[in-house]
Amino acid sequence: MLTKKDRQRFERLSLPHLDAAYNLALWMLRNPAEAEDTVQIAFMRAFEAFNSFSGNNIAAWLMTIVRNTAINTLNRNKRNSNLVSFDEIAHNTEKPHINNHDLRPDEVMSLITKQTVIAELIERLPLDHREVLYLRDIEGYSYKEISEIILLPKGTVMSRLSRARAQLQKWLLQQQRKEHFRGL
Amino acid sequence: MDCDHINKLIESYLDAELTLSDRRDFETHVTDCGDCSAQLEAMRALQNNIQNMHYHTAPCTLKQTIKNQLRDYTGEDTSRISWLKWSAMATGFVSVGALSSWLVLAYIMVSPLQTRFTDDIISAHVRSLMVDHVTDVESTDRHTVKPWFNGRVDFSPPVKDLKEQDFRLIGGRLDYINNTAATALVYQRRAHIINLFIYKYSPSQHSHKPQLLQRNGYNVIYWSRNGLNYCSISDLNKKELTEFSQLMATF
Repeated sequence: MLTKKDRQRFERLSLPHLDAAYNLALWMLRNPAEAEDTVQIAFMRAFEAFNSFSGNNIAAWLMTIVRNTAINTLNRNKRNSNLVSFDEIAHNTEKPHINNHDLRPDEVMSLITKQTVIAELIERLPLDHREVLYLRDIEGYSYKEISEIILLPKGTVMSRLSRARAQLQKWLLQQQRKEHFRGL
Repeated sequence: MDCDHINKLIESYLDAELTLSDRRDFETHVTDCGDCSAQLEAMRALQNNIQNMHYHTAPCTLKQTIKNQLRDYTGEDTSRISWLKWSAMATGFVSVGALSSWLVLAYIMVSPLQTRFTDDIISAHVRSLMVDHVTDVESTDRHTVKPWFNGRVDFSPPVKDLKEQDFRLIGGRLDYINNTAATALVYQRRAHIINLFIYKYSPSQHSHKPQLLQRNGYNVIYWSRNGLNYCSISDLNKKELTEFSQLMATF
């Protein structure tokens, strides 16, 4: 039975991570209303299981629950086609080799100004890619922490991250070259 | 290490996952190899772009809904928390007023834990001024200051050049606050020193809502971004320190 004291402790520990939870749900679901509902459900699930939480990283524990709840939402909505196609996409993603011959320094620098484009491209990534990218590059979790959150080996985290970034670089290069030819 | 091997390590290097010796070998190679250096910079540019993407704030109503649901679950009377609803409304009014929405939560209640932490921050700031040890690396160039932290902390602090906004970067140093390793970036406006402490989330240090505190004549501003906590402190007035912090927060 959870008491008022448990509730107070839970709020103190969990609510500082509300923004992170909301952003993770938003990255996964791409829909603000669903993200909000998912976080609500996830926090209640976390509270129900609070007595069994014995670790010292409540943020990572919460992220695990938010992630699982988001996946349930996706499954329920039958909108998880990206998840199914992940392996196919991932294995077709070659890492583009960028060197001095492929890309001029000004081209490298112009990548920096492509934030809006990046946001759109990230939306095109499969769910498996988006979640590790969010956990690493936005929340700054280590590979080990991410592997604990998504319940997969560290090597899988590394390869998914690598594929996600390679895919983004590839798309960015394609986009950049299109713009280049348009400008000729 | 040859180029193939280095290429496989680029992401682990940027993600601060290499051991110290691998990190050194990696940096030695990249310094002398144009191809690997270009690969590294392209990946760094991509990562910076991702890290600078808009970070959403959870809707205020979401927090309140969760709190109400938790109270329902434990059988507490939710009418007792009407002051919280009032507080949320008051915050809303302030946000449409003159204050920047970024600091709408400036005067929320401060927990004892936060008070102790702020005391630590103030001590670190004063100590740095008293013993003439403001910086470990003295430089006005962010490209000198940022790499200096490589291998010294397990994250890469964003170092911004704010010379044009009249906040001069004068260097950086390592500090230790409340059992947490922190980088301290040191800026100056007129005769006022600003210490900007950056440290990772930890079990004892969660992310900070933007807030401004005033203690012992110092202004202290907390915020969080991209998995890192930030705290700026100075005897500079509230308005100018807020300006500085907002510039850093939107970096």
